[in-house]
Amino acid sequence: MNTHVTMAALPSAIRRQQYARNLAPVLFLAPAVALLVTFLVYPLGQSFHLSLLEWNGLGENSVFVGLSNWAVLVQDTVFWHALGNNLLLAVVSVLVQLPVAMALALLLDKAGRGSRTLKILYFLPLLFSSVALGVIFKNVYDPNFGPINAVLQTLGAPALAQDWLGDRSYALGAVAAVICWQNIPFYMILFLAGLASFPPELREAATLDGASNSTIFWKIKLPHLQGTVRTAAMLAVIGSLRYFDLIYVMTGGGPEGASELMATYMYRTVFSSFQLGYGSTIASAMFLVVTLIAAFGMRLTKRFETEV
Amino acid sequence: MKLTLLTAALVAASFTYAAAAQEPKVITEWDIQTQPAGSKILQEALERFEKANPGYKAQRSQIPNDAYKTKIKIAFGANEPPCVFTNWGGGTLREFVKAGQVVDLTPYLAKDAAFKDRFLATAFDVTTIQGKVYGLPGENTAATVIYYNSELFAKHGLTPPKTWPELLKVVETLKAQGIAPFALANKAKWPGSMYFMYLVDRIGGPDAFRKAALRSPGGSFADPAFVEAGRKLQELVKAGAFAQGFNGLDYDVGASRRLLYSGKAAMTLMGTWESSSIKNENPEFVKKLDFFAFPTIPGGKGQAGNIVGSVGNNFYSVSSACKSPDAAYQMIKSMVDEPSVQARLQDNRLVPVKGLQISDPTMQRVMKLVADAPFVQYWYDQELPPQLAELHKDTVQALFGLSMTPEEAAQKMDALAAQILR
Repeated sequence: MNTHVTMAALPSAIRRQQYARNLAPVLFLAPAVALLVTFLVYPLGQSFHLSLLEWNGLGENSVFVGLSNWAVLVQDTVFWHALGNNLLLAVVSVLVQLPVAMALALLLDKAGRGSRTLKILYFLPLLFSSVALGVIFKNVYDPNFGPINAVLQTLGAPALAQDWLGDRSYALGAVAAVICWQNIPFYMILFLAGLASFPPELREAATLDGASNSTIFWKIKLPHLQGTVRTAAMLAVIGSLRYFDLIYVMTGGGPEGASELMATYMYRTVFSSFQLGYGSTIASAMFLVVTLIAAFGMRLTKRFETEV
Repeated sequence: MKLTLLTAALVAASFTYAAAAQEPKVITEWDIQTQPAGSKILQEALERFEKANPGYKAQRSQIPNDAYKTKIKIAFGANEPPCVFTNWGGGTLREFVKAGQVVDLTPYLAKDAAFKDRFLATAFDVTTIQGKVYGLPGENTAATVIYYNSELFAKHGLTPPKTWPELLKVVETLKAQGIAPFALANKAKWPGSMYFMYLVDRIGGPDAFRKAALRSPGGSFADPAFVEAGRKLQELVKAGAFAQGFNGLDYDVGASRRLLYSGKAAMTLMGTWESSSIKNENPEFVKKLDFFAFPTIPGGKGQAGNIVGSVGNNFYSVSSACKSPDAAYQMIKSMVDEPSVQARLQDNRLVPVKGLQISDPTMQRVMKLVADAPFVQYWYDQELPPQLAELHKDTVQALFGLSMTPEEAAQKMDALAAQILR
């Protein structure tokens, strides 16, 4: 009798238990999912929806135009030029910022405790507001009164004194230099943290085996840091693809669109031309480009991953 | 004890509630008068409004110029604009009006004829859209003129040029002396647009732009007047008339003015607000500062007296989202009442009212220039719909950079105009 009751109750108890087991993760995940949906999925969908409209963003006068904004985008030379500039910026960022940051990190790491003041000094550029920095460097680059051209002229190299922000050939490079200067400290700190976790025994053992300093760096330290380097490279690429602030402040994407980035072009389209629909198309395209490149980059760097 | 506290809290709460019920209605106001003098004028005007209209309270926000342009657009987009807002009339205001977000002031002004007649008739031009008035002229009257360093001119035996060939001579002489003829900070593109607007007017007369913008028969942005204006502009660039770096220099950080102050450049084409900027930045330089009107072009249709400028800019309007539009109208009235007009005059700003008593000789000349002008061309970048205005600025900067031909620029403008101005 007793057995019989238990037999009957068993399946339902198990079901209840299973139900509870399934419910728990759902409950725990719900707040995170709700946040994600509200602040990520919904805005993304909304922005894609806006990209299908012709709308100035005011009132109820939007017109559904299907994919015609996207058709315009595909043939928009300004957009492709901007994308090219973003990619260029990404390449420069990775090739300039990471090696310099690594060099600084190695030097500071080697200097040990005595380098605290230097660490703080090197870290300063990152703490400046981009807008203030942009205004300062606008004056530094001023072809008539700026210190750069003044120094070049005094040193007898007036041919090198250029119209840094007003010439189509130099504007992007001039701003990129400031972007690098501002961001190097960030990667420096990242690498320093990585180096701090480098076990000293490894270095001692290598030294005993007669490894030179450069061998220790290339064969031991760098592989040890590869995860950090990969993260840094991804951050630099993604940051460059959605870059906005210093370009906006220093050149506004000019002169004549020479330093236009996707983000500055989007801003101009929405807020100066009042084309919210087309601006959203640019924003959505930017999202696609960044996601694709980031995904591709992750895969690519994974292939080179080795066990340390 | 607990109970007493609770009762006290309840009583206090009910008092607060009663107070809230009697609290005055708030009228929000956004403006761009961030300079101390201009700000004080509006502050006092709002206080006069509150005094004359018990039960209403003004809530003011001052926002810097360029940030304001973005902020007001977002506010209207979210349908939460302030009751009273600053604007530039023209294309941007037209976008808000088209969306039904701005109060038509015509009925108010019809009832208030004496108030309306105080202003110059042209002061309502750029806020009148399809025969209805949407804004009151508030702050200033501006003409675009060529400011020059009179000391440098005297030193090199130069006199203000009256015609285009004379201007080219002046450019040549200054160039030979190692002085840049013009200071131009064209990063934001609108300063360069001023040269283009004047050239179009001098070559094709007011009709060239008017017909093109209204898409009247025969009107086109590819009209020979626009192409020729582009050519003349590039002629000036090729003659080396502009100080180095012009397309990258930022007007907002004073990059063009310091060229003047240092004597590295001799002239600049700018709105007459420039003289108050110079007065604030470099009072010493004011002694050397003088101005002349943009030269005429032989054979051109535009009269020598025509100016590029604005009458009444900025303007004050009321948004449709405002719950008390009548009070808001009273508020903008008080912002351009007699005391504020007089206070602005003290601050070297000319509200376009009739019979303004001006004592400053330079200001008198500006007012005469505007009052005598057969035609005042409003800035293209404010007058045109935003998208076309953006293209206008882009093409003119490219003309300055010599990376686009005048024909190309004209064709681009007309292609977009044909698409937008239906």
